[in-house]
Amino acid sequence: MDAEVKKAQGTRPREGTAKEMEGLDLESVIERARGHDAEALGEIYRRYVRRVFGLCRYMLDSRESAEDATGEVFLKLQRSIESYDGSIPFPRWLLRVAGNQCIDALRRRQRGRQVIVEVEDATVIEAPSSELSPLGAVISTEERTQVRDAIARLAVNYRVPLVLRYYGELSYDEIAQQLDLKKNYVAALIFRAKQELRRKLTHGSK
Amino acid sequence: MECYSELTCAIFVDGELGIEEARRLQDHVATCQRCRELVDALRAENRILGESLHELPEEAGSPASFSWLRTSWVWGDLAALAAVLALVSIFSAWVEKLRIPEALEWLNPFSVNGLTNLIFNLSYYFAHGGTAMLADYAAVVGGLFLLLGGGALLLGRRWRLQQSGLRLLIVLLTMSLPSFALERRHGEFVTVAANETVDDTLLAAGNNVRMEGVVNGDLLVFARTLEVRGTVKGDVVSFAKRTVVSGTVEGRIYNFSQSLDLDGQLGHSIYGWVQSLRVDSRGHVGDSILVGAGDVTLEGEVKRSATFFAGNAEVSGSVGRDLTMAGGSLTLPSTARVGGNLTARVRHLKNVEIADGATIAGKRDIQVRVRKSQFTRPRFYFYQAIWLAAAMLVGWLGLVLVPGFFEACTQAVGSGWRSFGLGFGTLVVVPVTIIVAAITLVGIPVSFMLLAMYLTAIYLAKIWVGAFLGRALLKPAKVTKRDSLLGLLVGLLILGIVGFVPYLGGLIRLVVLCLGLGAFSWQLYRSSRLAITT
Repeated sequence: MDAEVKKAQGTRPREGTAKEMEGLDLESVIERARGHDAEALGEIYRRYVRRVFGLCRYMLDSRESAEDATGEVFLKLQRSIESYDGSIPFPRWLLRVAGNQCIDALRRRQRGRQVIVEVEDATVIEAPSSELSPLGAVISTEERTQVRDAIARLAVNYRVPLVLRYYGELSYDEIAQQLDLKKNYVAALIFRAKQELRRKLTHGSK
Repeated sequence: MECYSELTCAIFVDGELGIEEARRLQDHVATCQRCRELVDALRAENRILGESLHELPEEAGSPASFSWLRTSWVWGDLAALAAVLALVSIFSAWVEKLRIPEALEWLNPFSVNGLTNLIFNLSYYFAHGGTAMLADYAAVVGGLFLLLGGGALLLGRRWRLQQSGLRLLIVLLTMSLPSFALERRHGEFVTVAANETVDDTLLAAGNNVRMEGVVNGDLLVFARTLEVRGTVKGDVVSFAKRTVVSGTVEGRIYNFSQSLDLDGQLGHSIYGWVQSLRVDSRGHVGDSILVGAGDVTLEGEVKRSATFFAGNAEVSGSVGRDLTMAGGSLTLPSTARVGGNLTARVRHLKNVEIADGATIAGKRDIQVRVRKSQFTRPRFYFYQAIWLAAAMLVGWLGLVLVPGFFEACTQAVGSGWRSFGLGFGTLVVVPVTIIVAAITLVGIPVSFMLLAMYLTAIYLAKIWVGAFLGRALLKPAKVTKRDSLLGLLVGLLILGIVGFVPYLGGLIRLVVLCLGLGAFSWQLYRSSRLAITT
């Protein structure tokens, strides 16, 4: 098996086949990637590297660690792609893998402790509902940059679920599974993350 | 009915509420305006969140450092990369140095200030014969231009940006031309009167240039004779046949002329390539001297070090620090004073004469250079290998980019006497044209371009001849790219080896240069005529 992987890595993608890959639909590319076709793996890399890197960049603090994590995701893909069964869309599956990778990285940094620990009194402080979210008024690119900056400044326990939900488009269940938390707690975390974000944005703009 | 909490609404909007509860909430929202507004606001918030996140920040957009699957590097990529690097480095260097002396750096691929040393060293080591030196010098400048041109072409090919590539080249060329505030004067006699002050940089061209007043900027001169009796606050760059400085120059003197006489005061250093350099007993150099010269006479004072690559050097004045000399002979009469070490590299020990009265504070280091020694040093072979690899790379570029032209040039070498004659003519006439063009101010850009082309052509000469020679010897049945490259390798190897044969080598190099240059010129002429007729 290992030898096979090495062989696959060693095969150099030729330009002709790479071009031919571009036009291929996702299913066939994945099918070929399962057979350790280096060109197909390269094509997957080409199509999704930006999205995977984006997720890692949001979840981890530095560009370097995000690059490392991205590299890891695609390296592991050569083996893990076999476990992809087609029950969910491939991009979502890939982002789930990437999310796991990042959580592992975060966990390693905390010496094996859980990234987000469930606090007993998981009561949600409700924001006064009359006050509409400042996010509703965000239209311009500049404002979107502000939103991204605010997200980057969120604490890990808010940032990670928020990014997994709205960038990775994972379900509450998937996030809960990855973070080893209860689904309700994930919902509360995401909710509080948004409240925190609103607070940051209203304070930031004043 | 009671309204739902914001959390529940948020979970609903995320599509995570249980089916039953979701239906109930939906029904409620249909009737309750407050909850409807809340749900709408939360939806909008989610949308903005998603959009903001998916719009990756700039730096995240280019995960450049992954290379695990990027294994399809081909030579073309490497060449393009090299070309880009060369372009960037040259471009940035030129942007940085738009001051006047540096504008003349077309003559010198390195910076005069920092690396003059290197270039003189290089030319000295290579300078056994005139043509050999010229060819090596051409290798540097010509190689640079080839890389530039080839890079632009290659980039154009690969990314179909031929036009942009050309434009880039044009921008590069314009950047390198003098584009600063300066005062120009030309005529038979150009004079700056004693009571006159020029505030800008002065560019003077003429037969005789006499400077008695004050120039606050730099002084750049193309002339037969230049006399500086007044004061130049900046640098003096002289291409005059004869340069006499009896006034004051506060900056440096860059001199490329037949003779330079310094009777006056110089604030900094002298850099130059002259037939004869003389620092009179009244002359004072505030910093150092670094020159390649036929004869050097130093009677005055040099505050710091003096370095000569000279045929004959006589130092009767004083040198504040080290005196370094390489070349023919060195004489130090009893009046000589050297504050630091004395280093001399000569052919024979008897060529160094140091009078008993001469003071040398530091060590005396006199090395006798044995000419043949270069063949025993590994460095020599290393440089030769690099030379060969560079030539092969250029040849390969030629074969890939302009196969037709390459082929035609190679065949044109075969015409023998015509090529030789034409080449010899080109070799002699072009430098004259360059000088004439440079003197008529307007022609300075033209002269720079001509010079660049000239040096490039000199560099290319051996490649055409090498390719021709290789083909003549190997006689391949069919001319493929591989055969051509192999032929080129064989030809270049033979030329390289033959070029080192004593006495005969220089002559052979000259013949090769003329043949190649002739073939190239002939082909250029033909293709330009072809372009006109079509």
